[in-house]
Amino acid sequence: MKILVCIKQVPDMESKFKVAANGTWYDNQDLAWRMNEYDEYAVEQAVRLKEQVKDADLTVLCIGSDKVKETMKKALAMGCDRGAHIADDSSWDKEPFQIAGIITEYARDKSFDVIFTGMQSQDRGSGQVGVLVAEMLGLPSVSTIVDFAFADGAIEAKRELEGGIRANVKVQLPALVTCQLGLNTPRYPTLPNIMKAKKKELLSIPVQELLKVDARLETEKMFFPEKKGGGLVLEGEAGELADRLISILKNKTSVLK
Amino acid sequence: MEFTREIYWNVGHGAGTLVPMYLLVIAAIAVVVKTFLQRREVYRQGLPLNRTDQLGSRISEMLSNVLLQKKVTRVKVPGMFHGLFFWGFFLLLIGTTLIVLQADFTDLLFGYKFLKGNFYKLFSITLDLAGIVAIVMLGALFVRRYFMRPEGLETKKDDAIMHGLMTVILLTGFVIEGARMAVTELGGPVATWSPVGHLVAQSIAWMGEDTLRLVHKLTWWFHLLLVMGFIVLIPFTKFRHILTTSANYIFADRGPRGKLTSLDLENEDAETFGATSIQEMTWKDIFDADACTLCKRCQDRCPAWSTGKPLSPMKVVNQIGEVAFNTPEANLIDTISRDVLWSCTTCRACQEICPASIEHVNKIVELRRSMVLMEGEFPGDEVMTAMEATEVNGNPLGIGYASRGDWAEALGIKTLAEDPQVDILYFVGCYASFDKRNIAIAKSFVKLCQAAGIKVGILGKEEKCCGEPMRKMGNEYLYQSLAMENVELINGYGVKKIVTTCPHCYNTLEKDYRDFELAAEVETYTVFLEKLLHSGKLKVRSEGLSCTYHDSCYLGRHNDIYDAPRALIKAAGGTITEMEKSRSEGFCCSAGGGRILAEEKIGERINVKRVNMAVETGANVLVSNCPFCLTMFEDGVKGAEVEDKLKPKDIAELLAERL
Repeated sequence: MKILVCIKQVPDMESKFKVAANGTWYDNQDLAWRMNEYDEYAVEQAVRLKEQVKDADLTVLCIGSDKVKETMKKALAMGCDRGAHIADDSSWDKEPFQIAGIITEYARDKSFDVIFTGMQSQDRGSGQVGVLVAEMLGLPSVSTIVDFAFADGAIEAKRELEGGIRANVKVQLPALVTCQLGLNTPRYPTLPNIMKAKKKELLSIPVQELLKVDARLETEKMFFPEKKGGGLVLEGEAGELADRLISILKNKTSVLK
Repeated sequence: MEFTREIYWNVGHGAGTLVPMYLLVIAAIAVVVKTFLQRREVYRQGLPLNRTDQLGSRISEMLSNVLLQKKVTRVKVPGMFHGLFFWGFFLLLIGTTLIVLQADFTDLLFGYKFLKGNFYKLFSITLDLAGIVAIVMLGALFVRRYFMRPEGLETKKDDAIMHGLMTVILLTGFVIEGARMAVTELGGPVATWSPVGHLVAQSIAWMGEDTLRLVHKLTWWFHLLLVMGFIVLIPFTKFRHILTTSANYIFADRGPRGKLTSLDLENEDAETFGATSIQEMTWKDIFDADACTLCKRCQDRCPAWSTGKPLSPMKVVNQIGEVAFNTPEANLIDTISRDVLWSCTTCRACQEICPASIEHVNKIVELRRSMVLMEGEFPGDEVMTAMEATEVNGNPLGIGYASRGDWAEALGIKTLAEDPQVDILYFVGCYASFDKRNIAIAKSFVKLCQAAGIKVGILGKEEKCCGEPMRKMGNEYLYQSLAMENVELINGYGVKKIVTTCPHCYNTLEKDYRDFELAAEVETYTVFLEKLLHSGKLKVRSEGLSCTYHDSCYLGRHNDIYDAPRALIKAAGGTITEMEKSRSEGFCCSAGGGRILAEEKIGERINVKRVNMAVETGANVLVSNCPFCLTMFEDGVKGAEVEDKLKPKDIAELLAERL
C-alpha cells in the first residue's frame, strides 16, 4: 500500500504576530514553528494505517523553505518512511489552488492508495487543499474525519458535522481524507525513531517542476481585527434574556459546544 | 594476686578443642565467602559503574558510618538502640578476638600474655557491660518491633531468627562466664571486674562444682555452635547487612549531589536508552537492595507514600533486588508499575535519610527514561503537551518564546544581546519569566540587585528552559538539546557569574550543565543576596513579620542551603516558627521530579498537606525560595481553604517590600 501524508509547517499560535511589511501576510520574526495541528492527526493516522497493513510505504510531503525540513523530521520520527520536500521559499504566498496543484503534480504518477491531509492549516485556514487535491486527482475525498478504520480495501470514517452530529462514511481506495481534532492522539516520537529519522530519505524537489497551475485568488490585505468595545448589555424579560444569552453563547463563543 | 583468667578453662586447650573449633570457623567462613561469590554473580548482571575511585575518602566514610553509626543514629530512638547494640556487640567481637590472639597465637607461640593486670580489669568490665548493653538494646528493639509495631515496619522470619539467635548468644555468654566464675572466682577480687558475670555466678553457685563444670562445658560448645550458625546465616538472612551495608558506604555516590548521569545520545550502537531490565541497571542498583535493612525511614519521609500514592522508595529498591535474584528476565517497569515510577518528586528525602547510603532517585529516573525515550510514554497527556510546548517555545507553559523577557520591560535591564558587560547574568527560568504570580519573584530580585548597585543582565527571548523537569521526567533527549543550546549561548557571552531564583535551575546549571562545559560560576539568589546584605551593599528595613519557612528540596537537601535564606528572613524582621518537617527533613511541595508538569491524580494533594503543616505553626506567611513551591502553595492555600489565614511569599518579595 502506498500512502501519502501532506503536512504544513505553521507558526505556534502563541507567538507574537505582526503583519509583514508587504501587508499581505504575517512577519516571520520571533515566531516559533511547528507542525500544523491537524496534520499531526493526519501523520498519526497514516502511521497507524501503515502499522496495520504492515506492507506499506508512507511518504510525507511538505512545501516550503529548508526550514520546514525540521518539521518533516518529526513526521519521519513518528513513522513516515520517506520525505518529499517541495522547495519553495515563497510557499506562504501561494493560494490553496496552487498548493493543491503542486501536490497533485507530485502525486499524479505515484498511484497512492490513501492520501491524508489536515482539515485545514492553523495559519491560512482555507480548508481547501485536501479536497482540491482529491478533485484534481479524480479521487473520492472525506473531509473532517474524527474516526478512521480500514478493512478489505475500504475506509470507514466518521465525519464531524455541525452541532456534534456525526456521519458514517465508507469509501473504497484510492481515496483522500482530511483529519480533524479528535481523530487520535499523536504519538511522542521515541529516541530510536528520532535517530532513524535522521537517516531516512528526504529529497528536495524544486517547486518549479511541479507548479503547473496559476493562482486564482489574491490576498489583498492582512490586518488585525479592529478592537471594539467589549461590553454587551441585554435588557428585557428574564426568560427571554436567558434564551438570548444562550444563543449568543452558542453562536459567538465555544463554551456550549 | 594476678588479675587474669585461664582461657579455655574447663574445655581444655588441646587439639580436642582447637581442631573441631577451627574447623567449624573455617567451614563457616567458607560458606560465607562462597555464598557472597554467588551473590556477586547476581550483582554482575548489572552494567559496570566505577565506585572505587577516591578510595581513601570512601573508606573513611565507611569507617565513620560503621564505627560511629553516624547515619543510623540520625533517627534518635531506634537509631540509638541499634547504635548501642552495635557498639556492645562490636566490643564483644574485639574481646573475643583478643582472647583468640593471646591463647592461640601470642601465648601459644611466644608465651606472651597481655590479658592480665590492669588491662585485664578494663577488658573484663568493658566486655561485661558491653554484653549487658547489647542484651538490653536487643530487648528494646524486640519490644519496638513486636509490641509497639511501628507503622510500615515489615517483620519477617529473618527478624525472628536474628532476634532469637542474638539473644541466645549473649545469654549463653553470660552463663558460661557465670559458671566459670562460680567455680574459680567467687569470693576473690577478680570477680568484681565482671559485675554481670558475678551476679550470674552467685545465683548458680548452689549447683556445685561438678554440675557447674558440666553446664559450662555444654554451654561453651553450644555458644560456639550458635556463633558459627550466626556467621553462616550472614549471607542468607538480613544479617547480611553487616557486610553489605558497610560495603555500600564505600560504594556510595560521591556527588555532585543530585546530578544525573548524562546518557550518550550520539552513540549510534545504542539500541536502548534508560532501563527496563535488570541488565540495563548498574550493579550498584542491585547491590543497593542487598544493603537495604528495610528500616523504612525512606518510606516514612516519602511525600508520595504519605499522601496515599503507591510509591515506597524502600519497595522499589527491593523489587529491583527481587528481580535480579529471582526473575532476571522480568520487565522492571511492569514489576514496579508505572504509577509508582511517575509518583516520585525526586525530593531526595529517601536518599538523605537512608542509613545504608542507597540511591533511590536515579533508579526511578533511569526507568522513566526508558518509558519516555523508548515508548514515548508520559504520566498524562498534559505532560506530553508540556514537552511539545518546550520543544517549540522553550518553556513548558507553551507561551510564545519571544515574550520571555517581557516581564523586565519597565525595569531598565538589558539582555546580554544588547549589553554583555554585566556583573551577573540572571537566569530567570520559565516560571519567573511567564507565570503571572512568579513574575513577582523576578521583579523583586532585579529591584534588590539594583538597590545594591549590581548590574544585572538577562538572556530574554534567547533563554530556554533549563530542562530540569523534562530530565527528571525521563526526557533526556529534550533536556540535552535545551542544555546544549543554553550552555553555548551563555559561554558565548563570556558570562562569569550566573544567579538563579529557581533552585531547579540552580542545581541543573551548577551540576548537570558541567557535563556540557558551562564555564560560569553559578549561585542561588539566597546566598547571593545574603552576601550583599552581609557586606552592607544591600540594605533592607526590618519590619516585624510572623512566618514559617519552607526549605525547597533543591536548595535544602540537594545543596544544604539552609542558613542563608533564614538569615535573609531574619534581616527582613521575620520571626520564623519552624514546621515540624524542616531543613533536611523538609516535606516536598509536590512539584519536583517534573511533577510540576503533571496532574496529581492519586491520593491526597501533597501541596495541601504541606500548606496545612504551615497553618499548624500559626504563622500567617509561608515563605519559600522556589517558583515551583510558590505555585504549589498558592494552589495549596486554596485547596486547604486557608487563603485568608496563610499567604505564600517568596524571600525575594519579602525583601523587596522592605527596600
